Amino acid sequence: MNRRQLLQLAAASAAASALPLPLRVARAQAAQAIQFGCPVPMSGAFAANGKFADLGMKLAVEQYGKVLDRPLAYTLLDTEGKPATAVRKMQELVQQKGARYFAGGILSSEALAMGKEAEKNNAVFITTAGADEITGADCNRATFRWSVPTYGAIERTVRPLIEQMPNAKRWYTITPQYVFGDGLLTAAKNIFKEKGIEHVGNSYHSLTEKEFSGYLTNAMAARPDVLLLLNFGSQSSDALRQAVSFGMKQNTTILMAWASGLEQFESLGADLCEGVYFGAQYWHGIDAPGNQDFVRRAREVFKANPNYSLAGSYICTKILIDAIVKAGSDEPAKVIAALEGMKYTGLTGDEEIRPEDHQVLKNYYLLRGKAKSAMKDKDDYADILSFGKSFLPVAQTGCKL
Amino acid sequence: MNVYLLQVVNGVGIGMLYFLLAVGLSIIFGLLRFVNFAHGAFYLLGAYFCFQAVAWGLSFWLALVLVPLAVALLAWAAERILLRRIYDKPHEFHILITVGVALVLQEAVILVWGPLGDNVATPAPFQGVVMWGSFIYPKYRLFVIGFTAVFALFLWWVLEGTRLGSAVRAGSESTEMVAMLGINVFRVFGLVFALGAGTAALAGALAAPIRGVDPFMGLEALGVAFVIVVVGGMGSFGGALAGGLLIGIVQSVMSSLWPEGARLMIYVAMAAVLLLRPHGLLGRG
Repeated sequence: MNRRQLLQLAAASAAASALPLPLRVARAQAAQAIQFGCPVPMSGAFAANGKFADLGMKLAVEQYGKVLDRPLAYTLLDTEGKPATAVRKMQELVQQKGARYFAGGILSSEALAMGKEAEKNNAVFITTAGADEITGADCNRATFRWSVPTYGAIERTVRPLIEQMPNAKRWYTITPQYVFGDGLLTAAKNIFKEKGIEHVGNSYHSLTEKEFSGYLTNAMAARPDVLLLLNFGSQSSDALRQAVSFGMKQNTTILMAWASGLEQFESLGADLCEGVYFGAQYWHGIDAPGNQDFVRRAREVFKANPNYSLAGSYICTKILIDAIVKAGSDEPAKVIAALEGMKYTGLTGDEEIRPEDHQVLKNYYLLRGKAKSAMKDKDDYADILSFGKSFLPVAQTGCKL
Repeated sequence: MNVYLLQVVNGVGIGMLYFLLAVGLSIIFGLLRFVNFAHGAFYLLGAYFCFQAVAWGLSFWLALVLVPLAVALLAWAAERILLRRIYDKPHEFHILITVGVALVLQEAVILVWGPLGDNVATPAPFQGVVMWGSFIYPKYRLFVIGFTAVFALFLWWVLEGTRLGSAVRAGSESTEMVAMLGINVFRVFGLVFALGAGTAALAGALAAPIRGVDPFMGLEALGVAFVIVVVGGMGSFGGALAGGLLIGIVQSVMSSLWPEGARLMIYVAMAAVLLLRPHGLLGRG
């Protein structure tokens, strides 16, 4: 089965799980299931991420089946990528099924809104969204985050690349103008300043932009050594594709600081990605026991390698379930206490949850795209060049729990 | 070379694609007085058919011929089966039905090709860039400018120099009069609708190597196409060309002047044109 068939399967299973809803509710209540919610965009521009996230939660819930002698159940919620819709669907699930555990939120805006809502509803929310505020100025008792925020993503990509190419002194950035993009840009500028790098220009663009040729013309006129892409998802794909068509790969090094992993390599193809640097939260080839176990499970069920969206949703759900087991209760306050400081074998090696800001401390990866001829199998798009953990000290995050 | 000059050249490249995207919408509205919200979906289909054709190993050039024909045929069938029944209804019905058609097509694309985007390789002879001093431009984009210019001439000839064209132009003045002259107006309508959809599909196929394909590209294209039609003047061929180029150049030059507002300036340009010329650049009052 290839990934497209897998997605179609996901769509079908989503449709099937949506239909007999009253029946499922009745059954779940009778057995006193512990209810989870998977609030992710299932329509709109980020629907693909949502569909993989659904599969990730499904995998984790089915792996455990039962904890504390109670079955696990989850409901998929289509946030449409909109904070207001996300919050409304979350409220409904809390009221209708008594769900208290939510893992999802692809976009920072929806994740921030849902985190606040979780706190109001005595629920627990864990996300993979990127904005620093989630475990920074806007942190709260109910919100946790697995992915490395923007600071670490830049520290683990821009810094090693500068060290690797000491002669590349001129950097140009392309940035989406919202909280996530600005977070990445600020972190990058700080390193530029520290390392004496000349920031030869930045192009901000809107979140709906698809035509990057104008920004690239600007970038080329500035004659940079490195083009740093700070956008995300299909926008970063569009920007990279158009940069390559403008011949920028020949005399410029391209770094996409926040790639979305395997699904992005698949949609771009190996030829475009060859020689390009990517920052990644997750890669199926990570050499860690937790990841090897997960990849094996995913391959058994889906006959394909897991991508970042699937992995993120899986590990977030798994963390919640493990904490419920550790707490010996599904009481949110006890589960939050169990989560704080929890150390576990994660997908990127040993991971732990920092109690002061609820940020998971995990690795971030710098990858480089391989030539098609060097790929060992169809998903072997990139080599891991370096990785490590970089997080702002709690005092600097602005988080006060 | 001055960066603004580069941006103007780049803007012409974007603008020619925009023209191709919008001209069908404009002609359909001019003749049929029909608001076609499914236009973006035909662009989407064009891009995906092109992707599929190339994935099957077909040559890109053959796809460039076959794909617009296939989409035109599909649109012609849709016009006969569905749209013909609602021409005499108010515009709200047109919008309702064509938005429905657009959603069905978009979801069909997701079902067949999945929600993830894909890449279409640039055809071999046009890979790489041309360089004149500091001017660097992708060969393929230059090809698109040239190809679209030739196609525009051809389209202009169809509309100005053929019997179909005169029927279309006369029909946009007075449908009843043309019908009384013994011309089968409904056949002309069907052909024009197919032609409009075919040009949108051609735009989609040409854009695929530049922008890749994804299931939501139709929505974005529709928004741009409406802006150009409004700027250029509803139903005007020259208007679509002028509007497309103006919007392309504005967008590109603003990428240097005020990057975060480049997208916004498309709509500001539209508002400015409407204030000065309420019927668009070349529209009739």
